[in-house]
Amino acid sequence: MPKIIIDGTEIEARDGVPVLQAALESGLDIPHYCYHPGLSIVASCRLCLMEMKLPHPQTKEMGWAPKLFPSCQTPVREGMEVRFGTEKVEANQKTCMEYFLLNHPLDCPVCDQAGECHLQDYSYKFGSAESRMYEQKQVNPKKDIGPKTLLYSDRCVMCTRCVRFANEVAGTGELCVTNRGGRAEIDVFPGVPLDNGMQGNVVDICPVGALLDKDFMFKQRVWFLKGGDSICPGCSTGCAIRVDSNENVVHRLKPRFNPGVNDWWMCDAGRFDFKYVHDVKRIAKPRLRRGQESDTPDWSEIPDIVRYRFEQHIARRGGASVAVVLSPMMANEEAWLLATYIRSLAPEATLLLGHVPIEGEDERYPVGCNDDDAKFTINNEKCPNRRGVEMLIEQLGGSTCAFEVFAKKCADGEFTAAWVVGGYPKGWPTKDLTKSVKKCELLVAQDIFENELTGEAEIVLPACAWVERDGSFTNAGGKIQPFERAIDPIQGARRDGQYLFEIAGNEGLYSGERVREMMADKMAAYANVAEAPLKPAHQH
Amino acid sequence: MADYEPVLLKHEGVENIRSLEVYRANGGYQSLAKALKTTPDEVIDEVKRANLRGRGGAGFPAGVKWTFLPKDRKRTLLCVNADESEPPTFSNRYLMEADPHMVLEGTILASFATQAQTAYVYMRIEFHEPFHIMQRAIDEAYAAGLLGKNILKSGYDLDVYIHRGAGAYVCGEETGLIESIEGKRGWPRIKPPFPAVEGLFGQPTVVNNVETVANIPHILERGADWFKSIGTDSSSGPKLFCVCGPVNKPGCYEGPMTISCEELVMSDAYGGGMRRGVPLKAVFPGGISMGVLKSDELQMKMDFDDPRNFGLLGLGTAAAVVVNAESDMRDVLRNVSRFYSHESCGQCTQCREGTSWLYKIASRIAMGAGRIEDIDLLEEVSGNMGMMPGFSICGLPDGATFPIRGIVQKFRAELEEGIRNQPSGRADALLNVLN
Repeated sequence: MPKIIIDGTEIEARDGVPVLQAALESGLDIPHYCYHPGLSIVASCRLCLMEMKLPHPQTKEMGWAPKLFPSCQTPVREGMEVRFGTEKVEANQKTCMEYFLLNHPLDCPVCDQAGECHLQDYSYKFGSAESRMYEQKQVNPKKDIGPKTLLYSDRCVMCTRCVRFANEVAGTGELCVTNRGGRAEIDVFPGVPLDNGMQGNVVDICPVGALLDKDFMFKQRVWFLKGGDSICPGCSTGCAIRVDSNENVVHRLKPRFNPGVNDWWMCDAGRFDFKYVHDVKRIAKPRLRRGQESDTPDWSEIPDIVRYRFEQHIARRGGASVAVVLSPMMANEEAWLLATYIRSLAPEATLLLGHVPIEGEDERYPVGCNDDDAKFTINNEKCPNRRGVEMLIEQLGGSTCAFEVFAKKCADGEFTAAWVVGGYPKGWPTKDLTKSVKKCELLVAQDIFENELTGEAEIVLPACAWVERDGSFTNAGGKIQPFERAIDPIQGARRDGQYLFEIAGNEGLYSGERVREMMADKMAAYANVAEAPLKPAHQH
Repeated sequence: MADYEPVLLKHEGVENIRSLEVYRANGGYQSLAKALKTTPDEVIDEVKRANLRGRGGAGFPAGVKWTFLPKDRKRTLLCVNADESEPPTFSNRYLMEADPHMVLEGTILASFATQAQTAYVYMRIEFHEPFHIMQRAIDEAYAAGLLGKNILKSGYDLDVYIHRGAGAYVCGEETGLIESIEGKRGWPRIKPPFPAVEGLFGQPTVVNNVETVANIPHILERGADWFKSIGTDSSSGPKLFCVCGPVNKPGCYEGPMTISCEELVMSDAYGGGMRRGVPLKAVFPGGISMGVLKSDELQMKMDFDDPRNFGLLGLGTAAAVVVNAESDMRDVLRNVSRFYSHESCGQCTQCREGTSWLYKIASRIAMGAGRIEDIDLLEEVSGNMGMMPGFSICGLPDGATFPIRGIVQKFRAELEEGIRNQPSGRADALLNVLN
């Protein structure tokens, strides 16, 4: 941990980081565009220049060098002394900010980036309000560069982050710089659109409004958005994300910095496939079959009804006839509540991991890299918590079986009561499974969409989308990551955690943290999950 | 300079000198044969002792540059910079056309000194003729065993390739050149690492100018002391000068670096004086990038040091563009700024935006729609770029700053007068259109 002096204040920096990174981590706001910790350094925006003390060429005496140095390109060295708060440095920042705006259309009122734009922020903080250019602006074109992205090159500041992302992280290299000097533009090659599984990230790393997300375009002004720290449920990689919503509508997902898991990135599947959250066909109310009649009881009746029906069944058929299928879409806390509740009624009940959706192979980026060099992996397990549920079943011990065996045992009449949790956005359940499971005398289906299984169930409980719940997922690497609720459940529904909490006989409000405290008695791993979310190591 | 004995252009007028046979008959490849019997270090020492400074513009001692290569390197690459793109400069082209084998012999010697196994001659695409001439010379040399495996049975191997650039000024910058050979956009690299450590294809690389390498055979043939006897201590050896513009004898000339700018333009041995007797107004003595001299500053010596005393960046390519009294400095300003706005590579903000803004302002002034305050703005904008104050990766914007700031500072009165006398109705109309 080298100590360096920035503007007279000693700070401790991490080894081998550039001065800029050290300064940002120490809380200073140093303007920069081209620097991104996840990409190679090009030192071309020249906005982060600083003064540095160097030995005099002749006398070897330490003194402030007359020239400025790019702080993004200068690694920290023990005892080095730099400064940003000088006239020279500030004059350069002002010059640069004037230059960035020379040919900028200043169309903030119609720009999606407005409100989270570093051209706005830096201009306000470091630039000047007026342009001295008298001539006409150069107007670069707006381009449709790919299925999910637009490029308004008139707003571009030529930081080339997107180009480097396509080359270094996605490994597909669709983007390039064309033309030279003031006429330079970002572009794609003719006939080769920006079309890779990570392309949404170029919109995130664009410090201005040049790269735009077609999906989010003109949907919301960003200052209306409320962000919820969440974990992507799309696959078992477990990317940390932020759910941006307004008035209970999710508008976009953005990656959060999460070192070692997703770093700064997320894939397009995770980013764009959240639309099912607002599907009108979702199950919104609990449903109960009384004889031939279907009834929608009040939530307050549910705990007693569930308990009564299970107790009746266990009394009749014995505890070993009960099986609980825990979905890998469930949070650890929800799975624990359900599993321990059933076990409290029937200690011999079988707990098992539900259907794990697998699609193809793991996808690694940069495309074509060796497994060890992967900067980002999209897991082929399209569920967030297979590992967590597995660990939980193992911890709780007792009877368990494979999912395939469960279906067979239902068909054979070995299991006569089953609680099946789904919650998958697509592709569930199979006809064969339904045929076997519907033989159960008592079937509880907890799911997000109506399907054959819910049609057969005695009790149907609506499962909520992950943005409406809170808890924690354990990713493929075994990391337990908490996620918070971003929006309220759809009208009529309740959070899975809440009703399971009540069914299990608890009172008051469910919260992931509260349940984790209960779990931590037996399972120490859950004790320190709720540590403060990682501070982003990078401002933008 | 009647008593000056030409060195680089000594074969001028020798018939068919482009052929290997004639070049050899005139003493060619003797230095190479001699050098191959010695060690690379001896060649480096001799070149260092001769104080051969780079002819490409910066004037960095070539021998010292070679010693920056790491001692334990496995592979070395040499690039010969024949991208000559400084506006009025044509001495490399002249030399390659006049004496291709001299350039090639120098290339082989420089490669031997640095122990390079591969040399690339980076030539701009516009050099069609020099390309074919050099390629023929290379083919002849391969056939005669002067290139390829085991050169002159010395055990030293070398391959020389000509790589043709796509015609960008910035590819004359050494790291821009390296990127371009690698097939990338000619964007100068950030340093460190320097090319001597990690250059072309990640290997230790030396980049030398055509004229620099052409001097090496002569140094080895006649010794460092002879070389130092030409010119001054810090600017020794023969130098090619170019003169262009409204002079009687525009062309490429050779001379010692003791001559003054006035001699270069006015003397019969060089430029031959102003055409039609029109008085001289200004000279850009080192290619346009180094800055401008007024007519009363012509005593400046054409060496590596004196230009600094006249507010110039350096000797540059020693190619003088002469401007006569009939030219309007507003037009000169526009022309100069257009060049940099066209050639800025677009990486660094200050250069990319600055050069195009300067060109916009300069064109407006030249169109007759200038404002007095534009002159200060030109000075400020051109002062805000360059590698020396740390605003950019390469030296291109320094080359834009010096001529533009030079014109603004040295010809301010003329620019102001031009702006004051511009027809006001037209100026207002133009300003209205623009705004």
